[in-house]
Amino acid sequence: MVGLRHRFESRAGDVTVLDGVDLHLDAGDHAALVGASGVGKTTLLSVLGGLESPQEGTVRVDDHDLAGMSRGELATFRRETVGFVFQHFGLLEALTAAENVELAGSLAGAAAGPRRRRAAELLEAVGLVDRARHRPLELSGGERQRLAIARALMNRPRLVLADEPTGNLDERSSTLVMGLLESLPAGHGCTLVVVTHDATIAARARRCFRLSGGRAIEEAIPV
Amino acid sequence: MSWRDALVLAVKGVRRRPGRAVLTVLAVLLASALLTALLTISTTARTRVLDQLSSGGPLAGIKVAAAAPDPAQVNQDNPDVGAPKDLDGAALGRIRALRGVRQVIPVLSVRQYVVPPRGPGRRRTQPFIGSVVGVDLRHVGLLPITLEAGRLPVAGATTEVAVTDGYVERVGVTPTQRSRVLGTVVELAAGRLEDDGGHALVRGRWTKATVVGVVGQDAANGELLMSDRAVREAQAWIASGVNNSRVLGGPTSPYAGAYVVAHGIDAVPQVRREITSVGYSTSAPENLIASVRRYLRVVEIVLAAVGIIALVVAGLGIGNAMLAAVRERRREIGVLKAIGARDRDIYRVYLIEAGTLGFVGGLVGTFVGWGIAEAVGVVVNRYLTQQGLEGVRLGLPVPLLVGGIAGATVLALVAGTLPALRAARLPAREAVSGG
Ligand SMILES: Nc1ncnc2c1ncn2[C@@H]1O[C@H](COP(=O)(O)OP(=O)(O)OP(=O)(O)O)[C@@H](O)[C@H]1O
Ligand SMILES: [Mg+2]
Repeated sequence: MVGLRHRFESRAGDVTVLDGVDLHLDAGDHAALVGASGVGKTTLLSVLGGLESPQEGTVRVDDHDLAGMSRGELATFRRETVGFVFQHFGLLEALTAAENVELAGSLAGAAAGPRRRRAAELLEAVGLVDRARHRPLELSGGERQRLAIARALMNRPRLVLADEPTGNLDERSSTLVMGLLESLPAGHGCTLVVVTHDATIAARARRCFRLSGGRAIEEAIPV
Repeated sequence: MSWRDALVLAVKGVRRRPGRAVLTVLAVLLASALLTALLTISTTARTRVLDQLSSGGPLAGIKVAAAAPDPAQVNQDNPDVGAPKDLDGAALGRIRALRGVRQVIPVLSVRQYVVPPRGPGRRRTQPFIGSVVGVDLRHVGLLPITLEAGRLPVAGATTEVAVTDGYVERVGVTPTQRSRVLGTVVELAAGRLEDDGGHALVRGRWTKATVVGVVGQDAANGELLMSDRAVREAQAWIASGVNNSRVLGGPTSPYAGAYVVAHGIDAVPQVRREITSVGYSTSAPENLIASVRRYLRVVEIVLAAVGIIALVVAGLGIGNAMLAAVRERRREIGVLKAIGARDRDIYRVYLIEAGTLGFVGGLVGTFVGWGIAEAVGVVVNRYLTQQGLEGVRLGLPVPLLVGGIAGATVLALVAGTLPALRAARLPAREAVSGG
């Protein structure tokens, strides 16, 4: 992405969050995004994932140019290309764990049979098979995070965006979750961007970017 | 997302806030129950009641007089009657054969010497010459006869009589206390002219009859109502006199008139025209029919309006509940969009959620409403039966039931459109912003 500029306009005053971010990632890259709180990490991730349209600049993912896309095309892009893991999990309380995972498939128009098999496979991978019929409120924070990852992977995305996936987890769970996320690029050739405050998590990435003053600066991986 | 998946998601959405869902559904339920009940009752009133009153009762009844028709009589309620003209069995046969005629009930009448009993009135009542009307009492429901007190004489009985308020007043009892005449015994005498060796002699045939009821009647002129058999016997006595006792001034027509019941109100004008061409004077309460019809139509409109207002209020309730749901699920809708939901997927889910509330409310409410109508029907029937009229059967108004359910659903869909649109237009950004 090139020359990204994004300003939130509100009556209380405009906030310029991104001010000329230039960022290039190769397919299959694993990048960490660090920076102080409120610096715009989530915003940058939303722009990458097609949730937010920047006021200026271009975003290209593979050969999609997000700036020129209609609402419908953006929805398709989010559905088929991106897997988003939210800071707050973003699970639907009314649905069971399995249904939450299947939902992504159902939005993509997958048939019930393959959808169910894929969901079972993913729940197995994140170690939640025996919690499949439980609702998110009956799961622990770590379990919810794993569930959110399973859902993000449902449609085999080319780009996985994880917003502080270990923010609320203890060290053991963090390791487990990161292990899950990191196993992806290898498996599917997909790109992973992880926002984190945790240096040890950032240290696991291949590249690390620090967001500050509206710009992204690549740093050496801390050891 | 398929319709099925959207439906599943919508139903889960409804179940999430059971309290609110129940209240919203309850409002729809009450409204559609009200609408169904009111419409069932008023349509029944319009179709069945009018129909039964008309095909059965006084509204489709045409009074045929033993008189020639006045040329201008048709389309008038109570025309001037032409010159007296005998109405006999043959004439009734011809009328019975007319198109649109359901039944012909002959009305007999005989003039008799009436001796009221001493007792019920404050003053002693003078005997008088009165007319006794005789009809087949099995068909009373079809005749313009209303029971005011007591009961009707048994069909075919010769010792039971019902009296009118005219008689009640004549014996010095105020109409509000009319039941005081019940159980008293009236003496009746039919006079016959006899030849007693060159001298004319009137011999009376004396009978006693117990007053069993007080009626309002418009079948023929007369203060007393008895079975046709009782009147026929008196007529036979009179007719067996010299020269049919004509000299005593009795009427010559075998029947005082007839009551013709048409096949529904709509057949009344045509039947009247045909009876006129047979050669008899008729009258029918056509103005009354028209105004009853108008009145029932107005009632129907008013009741429907009340029900529809209730439904619209319920619809606003659905809209409100849905707006609240959308507001509190902004984040969740954002998440759905972030994982790829199209605008129309979200639109569908929320529209179905609103439709579900309307459908469930409409389904239960319509049947509850029909139950209410049935209960009202039972009360009405009890009254009608008491009046000696045929009861009203409430048919299962299938179009009304289907319409009620569909109507509530459509209303909910309309009410849900704005909230669903609002949900569909929410940006995916909602998934990451705010609390
Ligand atoms: N809708 C909005 N309107 C106005 N300002 C906003 C809006 N959303 C975010 N911001 C502002 O944009 C800035 C960046 O927010 P963002 O959520 O991207 O930060 P972040 O780096 O993810 O922070 P954290 O580490 O706390 O999650 C913040 O200062 C925030 O106040
Ligand atoms: Mg953030």
